[in-house]
Amino acid sequence: MKQRVKRRTAVPDGLLSHLDSVWEGGMRQTFEYYRSFAGSEVALAAAMVESAVDLQGLGRGPADPGGLLLGDLCLARASRLLAETGDQRLQVGFARIVERVAAAAASGESPPLLREELSSLIAEDG
Amino acid sequence: MIANRRLELSTSAQTEFLDITTRLQEQVTAAGLRDGRLFVQSLHTTLGLAVNENEPLLLMDMQATLERFAPQGGGYQHDDFGRRAGISTDEPINGHAHCRLLLLQPACTLLVEEGRLVLGRWQAVLAVELDGPRQRRLAVQMDGDFTPQRPADADRRLVELELARQLLLDPDPVRTPMQRLVEAGGKRVRPMLVMLAAQLGRAPDSLRASALAGALELIHDATLVHDDYVDRAATRRGRASVAAAEGPSRAIAVGDYYFAKATRIIAELGNRAVTSTIAEAMEAICLSQIDDVRLRGSYPGDYAMYLRVVRGKTAALFAAACKAGAQLCRASAQATAKLTRFGDLVGVAFQMADDLLDYSESSGKPLGQDIRERVLSLPLIYASEDRRVGSRVRELLGGSLDESEVREVQRLVVSCGALERVVEEARGLVERALAELEELELDGVRPALTELARSAVDRTR
Repeated sequence: MKQRVKRRTAVPDGLLSHLDSVWEGGMRQTFEYYRSFAGSEVALAAAMVESAVDLQGLGRGPADPGGLLLGDLCLARASRLLAETGDQRLQVGFARIVERVAAAAASGESPPLLREELSSLIAEDG
Repeated sequence: MIANRRLELSTSAQTEFLDITTRLQEQVTAAGLRDGRLFVQSLHTTLGLAVNENEPLLLMDMQATLERFAPQGGGYQHDDFGRRAGISTDEPINGHAHCRLLLLQPACTLLVEEGRLVLGRWQAVLAVELDGPRQRRLAVQMDGDFTPQRPADADRRLVELELARQLLLDPDPVRTPMQRLVEAGGKRVRPMLVMLAAQLGRAPDSLRASALAGALELIHDATLVHDDYVDRAATRRGRASVAAAEGPSRAIAVGDYYFAKATRIIAELGNRAVTSTIAEAMEAICLSQIDDVRLRGSYPGDYAMYLRVVRGKTAALFAAACKAGAQLCRASAQATAKLTRFGDLVGVAFQMADDLLDYSESSGKPLGQDIRERVLSLPLIYASEDRRVGSRVRELLGGSLDESEVREVQRLVVSCGALERVVEEARGLVERALAELEELELDGVRPALTELARSAVDRTR
């Protein structure tokens, strides 16, 4: 109950719909990391991108269909959060990072360091 | 201006009433006739025309009236070949048919207003076969004010060029499978909706519209790549699916890459409303995919469930295509709202037509795939509710199905008329969608939107 209240104060209602298990499974910590230097929408978008890559096993091995669909939802919701910020630089930057991660996964190459890339992009904004 | 056309008909009985109203309306729409007249003329002496009610019992009454007026075998001099000169070896005995034509018309004129045939609620245009079955031809001439139209396929070519451009520089491991999927065809309904909607505002720009249209097609194709992994579909558009050809890891990465790339292309357009519209649609698609998979536990589901999933799975992107196209060219709020509703209705109708392809051998996807993978499908819902076959359908769908049981389900769906019911419902939705546009000023775009909406339903692939 205490955790739920805490979450509600940190993340606006509805943004974690269908993603409670992902939130409890580690997205919360990722969000808190980004939240230390970014606004809540951008921090949540970054946490969702990290979670999507993890859920879908990009660069590791294929996710099961359930993980794939949750990952897709994370990517889509990250896009919506970024759209709501109206920050075109971040929208384009986030998308380019996901493109690089996906292209590396498809090629069997080492993926870029996702957290570093996202953090660097967000920090430029500050 | 005058436009001339020919209509081909195949009749299947000696006496037959064919309702040609829709086909005539399609001629009006395709020609872009806004206000004027349509003349239609039979090119035969035993094929007549009538404007009357298409009601099955009335048609039987009219057939009986024709037969009483000129009974077959009534001793017609025309059938006495010994007294006639120059007759061919296959001359039919059809004096009765010629005489029956006296009760009908060889031609008729219909008024056209605002691009629609002017007909009363119960009026239909009937071609009346009097000596069939045969191949028949009608001459159609349209006269009046035509809406200027853009070259018919200019938008489509622009979309294809844009898709090719967007794929050109991508890394091989993602580009090759996506290019295979893109080049395998697809109907391009979503990008075409963007292209058409993007002409209806104060700031139309074909190049920006084509960038948005191409991105939307990439989003659609990315969802197909992921869907085929989730549904374990071996083929797509008649070719191996990306998951089947490249393996699941590559399929997931390809879908993600193009999902992200499309998002970027849209963001680069710099239109905040468009970016939000597409982002919301993508989220709706993902939520309904999750819903769809979850609901496979309560298979085959019911109509409300079906509609909820389809609105997200398919209609969301159709509606977003129309809305974003309108937003991109700064169309009015009223036009944007009406186009969005149009897209939603066409999207639902499109999915219903898609469900029918599970029963079509020429669709490019394996027959019965939806049944095997327990995908929500309207024909199955209707069959499961049918008084005669419903209990057997539910019993079969309640367990795991072997191939003979999949075929049995298909036979039951066909036999109970569920497919016809779905066709009617889809066509009704398209008409409702077109009604949404009736009050809008759609200079030059109405014929193409009408054709696109109708073709979304009447298709085999």
